[in-house]
Amino acid sequence: MTAITRRAAIMMGGLACAAIPMRSLAQTRFRLGLTPVFLDNDAVIIDRLRHVLSAAMGREIELVQKRTYEEVTGLLLERSLDAAWLCGYPYLQHREALALVAVPVWRGRPLYQSYLIAGQGVAADNLSDLRGATHAFSDPDSNSGYLVTASDLIAMGTRPEQWFSRAIFTYGHRNVVRAVADGLVQSGSVDGYVWEALATVEPDLTRRTRVIGKSEWLGFPPVCARKDTENAEPVRALREALLGLSRSDAGRAALAALQLDGFQTAPEGLFGGIATRMRLLET
Amino acid sequence: MARVLRPLPLSLRLPLLGAALMVLVGVVASQQVLSALGRVQDARLRELAAMHVEGLSVALGPLVLRRDIWEVYDTLDRAGRESEGRRMVLTAVADEAGRVLAATDPRRVPVDSAIERVAQGAVPLDQLSVGASESTVRLIAPLDYQGRSVGRIVTELDVSDLQSERRRALWFLLAGNALATAFLAGLGYLAMRQMLRPVSTLAQQMAGAEGEPQPIAETDVPRGDGELARLARTYNSMVHDVAAKSQFERRLAERERFVALGRLSSSLAHEINNPLGGLLNATDTIRKFSNRPEVVTASAELLERGLRHLRDVARVTLDQNRLEQEGTPLSPDDFEDVRLLILPELKRMEQRIDWSAPEDLTGCAALPAAPVRQIMLNLLLNASAATGPEGGVALHALLDDAGLEIDISNSGPPMSEAARARLLSDEALAPGGGVGLRLVRDLVKDLGGRIELARADGQTTVRVFLPAREGATDA
Repeated sequence: MTAITRRAAIMMGGLACAAIPMRSLAQTRFRLGLTPVFLDNDAVIIDRLRHVLSAAMGREIELVQKRTYEEVTGLLLERSLDAAWLCGYPYLQHREALALVAVPVWRGRPLYQSYLIAGQGVAADNLSDLRGATHAFSDPDSNSGYLVTASDLIAMGTRPEQWFSRAIFTYGHRNVVRAVADGLVQSGSVDGYVWEALATVEPDLTRRTRVIGKSEWLGFPPVCARKDTENAEPVRALREALLGLSRSDAGRAALAALQLDGFQTAPEGLFGGIATRMRLLET
Repeated sequence: MARVLRPLPLSLRLPLLGAALMVLVGVVASQQVLSALGRVQDARLRELAAMHVEGLSVALGPLVLRRDIWEVYDTLDRAGRESEGRRMVLTAVADEAGRVLAATDPRRVPVDSAIERVAQGAVPLDQLSVGASESTVRLIAPLDYQGRSVGRIVTELDVSDLQSERRRALWFLLAGNALATAFLAGLGYLAMRQMLRPVSTLAQQMAGAEGEPQPIAETDVPRGDGELARLARTYNSMVHDVAAKSQFERRLAERERFVALGRLSSSLAHEINNPLGGLLNATDTIRKFSNRPEVVTASAELLERGLRHLRDVARVTLDQNRLEQEGTPLSPDDFEDVRLLILPELKRMEQRIDWSAPEDLTGCAALPAAPVRQIMLNLLLNASAATGPEGGVALHALLDDAGLEIDISNSGPPMSEAARARLLSDEALAPGGGVGLRLVRDLVKDLGGRIELARADGQTTVRVFLPAREGATDA
């Protein structure tokens, strides 16, 4: 340290001074992870959500979109994200490290279903009829887009790669609907909330598919944060902003665009159904 | 073609040939335009297809390498939706092994099917052409990524718009060429007709109203010194010459009648003179023996016979002059008249005559008397001249169903070459020769008859056939 010259000390001080506002700026920006698995990439809806949350939290929000749940979960765990809108399945996979911030309310409940859909002209009325078919999953870490169908098959004593002649991942629930509607595959596993939302905004797309199976009601994909930051200021601010969305006009408009009623704190045992299916998969 | 056109007049044939050439030029030009258009379209299509394949190679390379079916499909679907005018009807992408990863129409080309199924009839980029039969063409291209081929792309391109563009161009060319050809052919027809009018006039005038060539009116002769003007003038002068010649020949024929009489005049004068001595004696006798009635009666009879003979001679001579070409029909009297005319000459030459003529001419009454008499007289005069003193001359006339045959023979030497030419051919008359035999030929020709010349037993015989004329049986 004695070797540090005066000039060097001045330079280091200058650097430190310069670094302080940059760091504080970076800290003020809240990084929220999203996956196209859930919302697809409707820029207008996402931007509206960002604005509303940003205004409610009093800070800038950076929405970080990745292709897969794995990537988003990884970024959240390695602290590159402050929070992320995940799925119940990855949340349960990392439940020791993750905490629930809030869960969306759809049609009055924080619950949704997984739909099994088939293309027009595909003669199938249930999963048993789809033997040898080509099938589209959305994401290997998606509950509705993979886990439900995979665990059902395991319950039937088989596995997806044995049951289907070919299974592909589209990394998006809307993509699953497109793949089935366009005839790329004969059937698909899709988030029931997304399918219903698409039936409202893109009826021409869903009309070319047929729901041939619905799962039991399961916990809706939640917004999660790391356990260690659960009670930190920005995460609390996010929770407040989410829970208060339905109380402002802008918030209601953003929720309406997402076709959601609002957000609530997750009740105990919300993801029990998913946990049961996970155990089936692990056996 | 030429045979078909031959019956048409020149003024129609030339414009038609012009129009045919125009059509030919039009067809060749259209062919050129269409093939140029085809080349441009092919180049455009190849450029577009190359861009499509290159773009897809860049976008799909890593996806194909990873065999990410959804991403390949999604990329194809978005690219297809954004491409202009739906040129690319179908695009299928296969991996190295030829298994389809995804296609823009997955129902038609399912995932995992063999690319060969859809690649049937597909051609590489450098052979891509719009063609004419199919509304779509297929292209097969390797999918290159990072310098190696990782798969294959088959694209079906809709070329129906290019084909209809070509068809439209073809129709425009056809319609344009047809209009231009019709217009120019019409113009050409009028122009050629205008140019060839002197030729038409010439052809018309040559045919003539009564089969005789007529001169072209001075107003119809083309102006200037062009070849057509010269042709018209030459034609006119030829027509004038022909007219002058035939007029000359007519005058000559007219004169020939007098010539024949002229040749007979001295013998006819003898014929009149000889009896005159006897007649004057008879008048002396009547004066001397006026008191002897039997002598007076005998002398008066002698006188009457002589005078009657004189009257006959005078009559036939006058008749020969007076007869019209197409006037009185031939009768047995005409043979007698000719005999009467020729006899004094034969007598002067001390020649024998062998004569036989039909007494009834009902079968060929329609033959005109004047030309037949002229024919006989000329031939008899010729025979008399040929046979020389104390020779023999014969006339035999026969009548049958076909017509009248008159044979005139003499015992003289054979007919000279010049005389034969005059009698049997249309060769130009050599100067100095007589025109009597040529006149015979012309007259026989006018009557539709023919002449034969024979030589046998020291006899030269000219045989004239005159066909019975229409209306003969009615006469």
